[in-house]
Amino acid sequence: MNENIFLFSSPLSLSLSLSLHNSSYLLSLYFLSLFLSLSPPVFSSPFLSPSFSRHSFSLSLSLSHSLSGVCGCCGALRPRYKRLVDNIFPEDPEDGLVKANMEKLTFYALSAPEKLDRIGAYLSERLSRDVARHRYGYVCIAMEALDQLLMACHCQSINLFVESFLKMVRKLLESDKPNLQILGTNSFVKFANIEEDTPSYHRSYDFFVSRFSEMCHSGYEDPDIRTKIRMAGIRGLQGVVRKTVNDELQANIWDPQHMDKIVPSLLFNLQTADSRSPSPLQVSSEKEKESPVELTERCFRELLGRAAYTHIKNAVTPVLMHLDNHSLWEGKTFAVRCFKIIMYSIQSQHSHLVMQQLLGHLDANSRSSAPVRAGIVEVLLEAAAIAASGSVGPTVLEVFNTLLRHLRLSVDNELSGAYELTEEGSKVIQEHEERQLQEAVIRTIGSFANTLPTYQRSEVMLFIMGKIPIPGVHPILPNGSGPEGNRMIQVMLLKSLRQVTSGFQTTNMLTALPSAFLEPLLCVSLLETPELRLLVLQILVSLIDRHHNTHHFSCISIISDTSVLKLKLDKCSRQDNLFMKKHAQHLYRHIYLCCEEASSAHTHFHTLYTLLALLSIELANEEVLIDLIRLALALQDLAVSGEECLPVFNRCAIHALCAAYLNLISQLTTVPSFCQHVHEVIEVRQKEAAHLLPEDVFIDDPRLPASLEHTQECVLFAQSKIVEALGGSGYNAEKLATPYVPLNIDEDRLSKRKSVGETISLQVEVESRNSPEKEERTPAEEITFQTLKSAIVDSEGMEEAERARRRQVVEKFQKAPFEEIAAHCGARATMLQSKLNQIFEITIRPPPSPSGSLPASSTSSYAQAPPPRSVPVYEMKFPDLCVY
Amino acid sequence: MSTEDYDYLFKIVLIGNAGVGKTCLVRRFTQGLFPPGQGATIGVDFMIKTVEIKGEKVKLQIWDTAGQERFRSITQSYYRSANALILTYDITCEDSFRCLPEWLREIEQYANNQVVTILVGNKIDLADKREVVRQRAEEFAEAQSMLYLETSAKESDNVEKLFLDLACELIREAKQNTLDNSDNSPMPGEGKSISYLSCCSLN
Repeated sequence: MNENIFLFSSPLSLSLSLSLHNSSYLLSLYFLSLFLSLSPPVFSSPFLSPSFSRHSFSLSLSLSHSLSGVCGCCGALRPRYKRLVDNIFPEDPEDGLVKANMEKLTFYALSAPEKLDRIGAYLSERLSRDVARHRYGYVCIAMEALDQLLMACHCQSINLFVESFLKMVRKLLESDKPNLQILGTNSFVKFANIEEDTPSYHRSYDFFVSRFSEMCHSGYEDPDIRTKIRMAGIRGLQGVVRKTVNDELQANIWDPQHMDKIVPSLLFNLQTADSRSPSPLQVSSEKEKESPVELTERCFRELLGRAAYTHIKNAVTPVLMHLDNHSLWEGKTFAVRCFKIIMYSIQSQHSHLVMQQLLGHLDANSRSSAPVRAGIVEVLLEAAAIAASGSVGPTVLEVFNTLLRHLRLSVDNELSGAYELTEEGSKVIQEHEERQLQEAVIRTIGSFANTLPTYQRSEVMLFIMGKIPIPGVHPILPNGSGPEGNRMIQVMLLKSLRQVTSGFQTTNMLTALPSAFLEPLLCVSLLETPELRLLVLQILVSLIDRHHNTHHFSCISIISDTSVLKLKLDKCSRQDNLFMKKHAQHLYRHIYLCCEEASSAHTHFHTLYTLLALLSIELANEEVLIDLIRLALALQDLAVSGEECLPVFNRCAIHALCAAYLNLISQLTTVPSFCQHVHEVIEVRQKEAAHLLPEDVFIDDPRLPASLEHTQECVLFAQSKIVEALGGSGYNAEKLATPYVPLNIDEDRLSKRKSVGETISLQVEVESRNSPEKEERTPAEEITFQTLKSAIVDSEGMEEAERARRRQVVEKFQKAPFEEIAAHCGARATMLQSKLNQIFEITIRPPPSPSGSLPASSTSSYAQAPPPRSVPVYEMKFPDLCVY
Repeated sequence: MSTEDYDYLFKIVLIGNAGVGKTCLVRRFTQGLFPPGQGATIGVDFMIKTVEIKGEKVKLQIWDTAGQERFRSITQSYYRSANALILTYDITCEDSFRCLPEWLREIEQYANNQVVTILVGNKIDLADKREVVRQRAEEFAEAQSMLYLETSAKESDNVEKLFLDLACELIREAKQNTLDNSDNSPMPGEGKSISYLSCCSLN
């Protein structure tokens, strides 16, 4: 116990500084005998008094020269480092560290680094004792000294010292006094900031991780102290991370056993401070120093920033767990905030790992309530936006598959009205919650798609398309959720598709809209539901709009001068022409039929207008332009003649659509006489028939006449005048003079009929059509050259034989997946091509006829039932894809 | 004479449903007080106490976990390094007893397999409200090969005994392990002794 006796040796006197803590046995015989020969020993009375136990006092002893040997003996008995250490402690702990002596100690430590371990051990010994005796002043001094030594030491030698240093910190952390805990933490943080370059084997930070995590959760009564302890805990964790993250010899801080402590502790602080609204007092104090939340966030970011590829999982899993346990998905804001921090902090090449984990978590939560799933999806959405190109990673379709699966799951849930039996029986589902979830999923799909390069986006579009249940093309929902379920799935998937396509940029329409995508899409558009049709229109619009012109045409109106719009135009490229050759008729037909639907509403016409406008801006060459004008005129005829099937509103709307569109296209052609005619008609309408103009039709409460019986010729656009005007400017007047008649195409029929279940009439329809165009368009029906030839020669005789065959084919077409059919006929494509060429060479062809129906005047066998748009198609070399 | 010294260091983790009196047990043992109106523990709490058993100093690091479900993920992370688990239930609360199998599953999943588990029925001072009869708990404990003890943190019944018994058991196991290893190297938890009465330090 007597090591507190301080010795100051000088040549002549030995000054004994005694700290009399346990003075009762200070006067041991040993002590007396040692100084027996000294003269005169001055023992004053306070020396014996326990009341002075906290104070030190000096004994001045005169020493004769002859006693120098004893001095030497004393020196030997009490090593120099101990003396130096003892000297740094003042008599009164209030005085603080004895600076001069501290310098001596530091100098000694630096000049004799091999003694560092002993200095450390001795200091820690003293400190432990001081802690046990509640002499906190000395504890602080000891820590200060330690810190200074630590800072002064060289990297190489620090290892020797660290063990005792950590022991001391541990000691302080074990105490239940907040001040000591904080003191220990501060020292630890200082230590953590020292970069060591030598490896160390014998350290274990387990306790520190556990303890600091515990401190982060401090429940101390006094809120101020609680905050301090928690902040200390956070800083401590930060320190541990810094210390261990790059040291391969240390226990891997990324192991779940550590991460499961560190991450929830940080999140807990991030979250609790979140929920507490800062009082004015706090605000003022926050200006001076960092708030716990900021500190936590910084620490969390630092942690994540250091995470390598293999660590991400361990770091993110506890986050998911925490959000689960504290039910923080529903609230969204915190979860989103967490993941924003994560996404911004981790190295960007790891982003997709986080995404995968989130998706996995979504899967794991498929039985959870809709708000929870919606929360996760919301987080995905935000995270995807941040991660940008890094968000999807190598498994693109997997990501979309998961999202689509959840979309479908949600629809199923909404329809069934209950989850599968949970613990408390079946829960009633809040329909609007499922709706919100669906919206969130759809937006997330869009967000993911936005990060993809064009070619992958096309893939994704096809993938989603493949999931849409289209009667006859893709299998209907297996789970028997009925037509309602089908319809909802269709709507949801089309909405997803719309999200994916919005902002889609492509230079090549052929790749953007391959037949495999376009055809099913247009099939869908012919289903009964107006909502579906609208979605298809919107998807087409966003795909075709490559120069962001949509907003100019989002509303039908008569634009008196299109030059003010400053449209961005590019010359129609070769691929665009090819695309239009292939698909234009599909599109026209689709537009026509869309107008024909009585259930079309305002938005439909707006979007139709947009689509027409974009077609004529983006993809129009001369031929297309003429076709479009024909289409517009055909629409006008529809409006005039369709009184028995269309309500007045639709007819007016179609008139208005034609007016607006012809107005636009006339200005695009810049043929003065055409413009003039259109202008005249519009002027007449303004005076006499305002209900035929968009400005009057597409308002909330349009004033429409009861019937359109008295519509006069002068308010209609006259085909003859347009033909005349355009023919004069070198356009193909002959073709223009041919009225557009939309012809049904097999695929469309298929879907249309099947959707209403009229498969029998479909077969009849198929059988009655016997043109080469048919074989060519649907080679999936396995029509060989032989059948083709005999069909040309004697179509009547073949009919019986073909009937059975076609039935089979149709059946196959219904049942087999699209891909199978496609693959099957892919091989035949080349053969078919050559044979077709043969036929065409043999047969005397009429001059290239405009696509569309010709007057049935030709003598050739296929001109009798002239296939629309077939002739231009014949002329081109078929790429393999075209055949199906 | 220093408290720094210990022969053994054991980590003990208390688990059990919320409100069964885990924190009170720890407080009673480490500080000798019964905090009335003790709030729910947040996350984890930490206490330390050194006891002397048969002349050997045993330092007990006691991690007192929150019973609330929402802190489950952080509390689980503390099981792993525990030498002993005190599984606590409230004898006046049938529910807390019924949850025990669930807790055992968690132990199975997260704790290391050498962990010593002791089942504790707390609040025996509320004998008139008892819902779980002693025999039932004993049978359960036996079936799971756990030790069983009934305590009252309020009356300080069996609290000391609980921790001291546990410490004894842990020492016994630790010694067994050292023997098994037939290795003379010091135990990981063993501290080195420092003699303060050597003549050198007396000067």
